[in-house]
Amino acid sequence: MGTAPGAFAGAASTVAALVLLIEFAMLRAPMLRSQIRLYAVQSFVVSALAGIVAHDRRIGELYVLAVLSFLLKVVAVPLVVSRLLRDADTEIAGTGAFGVASEFLIAIVVAAFGFFAVGTLHISSAVLPRSALALAAAVVLVAFVLIIVRSDVISQAVGFFSLENGVSLASLVVAAGLPLILEVAFLFDLLVAVVVFGILMRVHHGRSATLSTAGLTRLRG
Amino acid sequence: MNPLPDPAVQVLQVATVFVFAPGISGVIATVEARVQGRRGPRVLQPYYDLGKLYRKETLVPENASWVFLAAPLVAFVGYLSVPLLIPVLTTYGLPLGYQGDILGGGFLLTLAGFVTALAGADTGAPYAQLGSSRAMTFGALVEPTILFVVFTVAAITATDLPYHEAATVRSAAGQIVRPAHLLAAAALFMAILADTGRIPVETHASTLEFGMIDEGRTLEHSGPALALFRHASAIKQLVLYTILANVFLVPWGLSSSGRPASVALAIGTLLAKAIGIGCVVAVIDDSFAKLRLYKITEFCAAAFVLSVLAVFTLFLGGS
Repeated sequence: MGTAPGAFAGAASTVAALVLLIEFAMLRAPMLRSQIRLYAVQSFVVSALAGIVAHDRRIGELYVLAVLSFLLKVVAVPLVVSRLLRDADTEIAGTGAFGVASEFLIAIVVAAFGFFAVGTLHISSAVLPRSALALAAAVVLVAFVLIIVRSDVISQAVGFFSLENGVSLASLVVAAGLPLILEVAFLFDLLVAVVVFGILMRVHHGRSATLSTAGLTRLRG
Repeated sequence: MNPLPDPAVQVLQVATVFVFAPGISGVIATVEARVQGRRGPRVLQPYYDLGKLYRKETLVPENASWVFLAAPLVAFVGYLSVPLLIPVLTTYGLPLGYQGDILGGGFLLTLAGFVTALAGADTGAPYAQLGSSRAMTFGALVEPTILFVVFTVAAITATDLPYHEAATVRSAAGQIVRPAHLLAAAALFMAILADTGRIPVETHASTLEFGMIDEGRTLEHSGPALALFRHASAIKQLVLYTILANVFLVPWGLSSSGRPASVALAIGTLLAKAIGIGCVVAVIDDSFAKLRLYKITEFCAAAFVLSVLAVFTLFLGGS
């Protein structure tokens, strides 16, 4: 552990760690707008990492992917989601099932599980350090925690979208040379999810006049 | 010129912190006021305040015991002995530099904080007791973060000596950008914000007793005893800034020999670094609101996440 990684490996894992940190921040985002903004920042970080990898490892196709994912996930998705919910009230603070500090502790435990579980698989990659893949797994698991503990539609939808960010991060590590068409297909999958979630959120808000999903547990005759 | 003997440099380390600590507080107060568009107090104001307090008499509450009067001295000496253990001016360990590791320094800081809280509780006055109780509670929440930062240092350098961590950071560019180092430094910075009573945890120069945490403990003290506490808290602040700058963020500009010229240069760079950190703190002070008391746990949890991730990323190949 004493030897330092190269500057590129270090920087790349730092960016990957940033993605996980933003996922943690989503656990406490108090406003609709701040939640969407966090997602945009996280997507930007993932796109930037794709750009960095493209530059350092000279993979031209990754540039295209970086630009596409920037346009879609940093610009289009946040815009669409905030347009769909423009008449919703903006407060989503306190929708967590536990206190924020306890949610953080739960998420740390879950992230640790993902981190070390993937670490024991010894998957090595030519383009990114091993810890980036472990961080990606932690992002996915913390996204699950986010979806589970917060009972408002916006956190659940953003949790799902950010789960895709974790998967993108993982795909950068293990399959940076994946054919571009497949990567783009994933992005369009996301677009479909955004449309579906957007309509769900809108219908839910239209029916219950709230973003909270707490009322859904009541039985209706 | 002949190099200074090591003990002299060691004394100089303590003297530097002793002399300049209130000045750093003064600079922060001035910068904070300027950012708000006020003129603010003089940079030397803390020195005048201390001088004024030293000339006044000490009043002791009726029920207070000897703890009340002994605590300021113990806290003062506790904070002032930490500079013996950390790289304040030199890159190499001075004669007493290896007497204690980071944990040793941490124990000294904690002892001083504990004694201060004890003095507050000893008075029997409600606000001082409130301050003591809160300071110990939130201190306990910050403690895990500090521990994990120490673990990070231990895992990176295989020791827990601050000198070795500083030398490791200086050794390669890869050491600076590795996530463990950056995350640990960020966690330590947040812990320092909480420990020195800055926004978002506490309003530093507030006079509202209900918002007080650290400040509340010394409400009953007056005269020289209060002066000692004030000076001690300025020393604590400079010591923590020194650890952040000279061990984690920018361990450059330290003297590698005892030559007077390079030691003087090291004093200058230390002050510049401390003022730099102070400016950042002042800007944070002005741009965020104080967290509600029950939300401080969220701040501590965020710092804890950073430090835990720092330790995580060190496994799996160290990057």
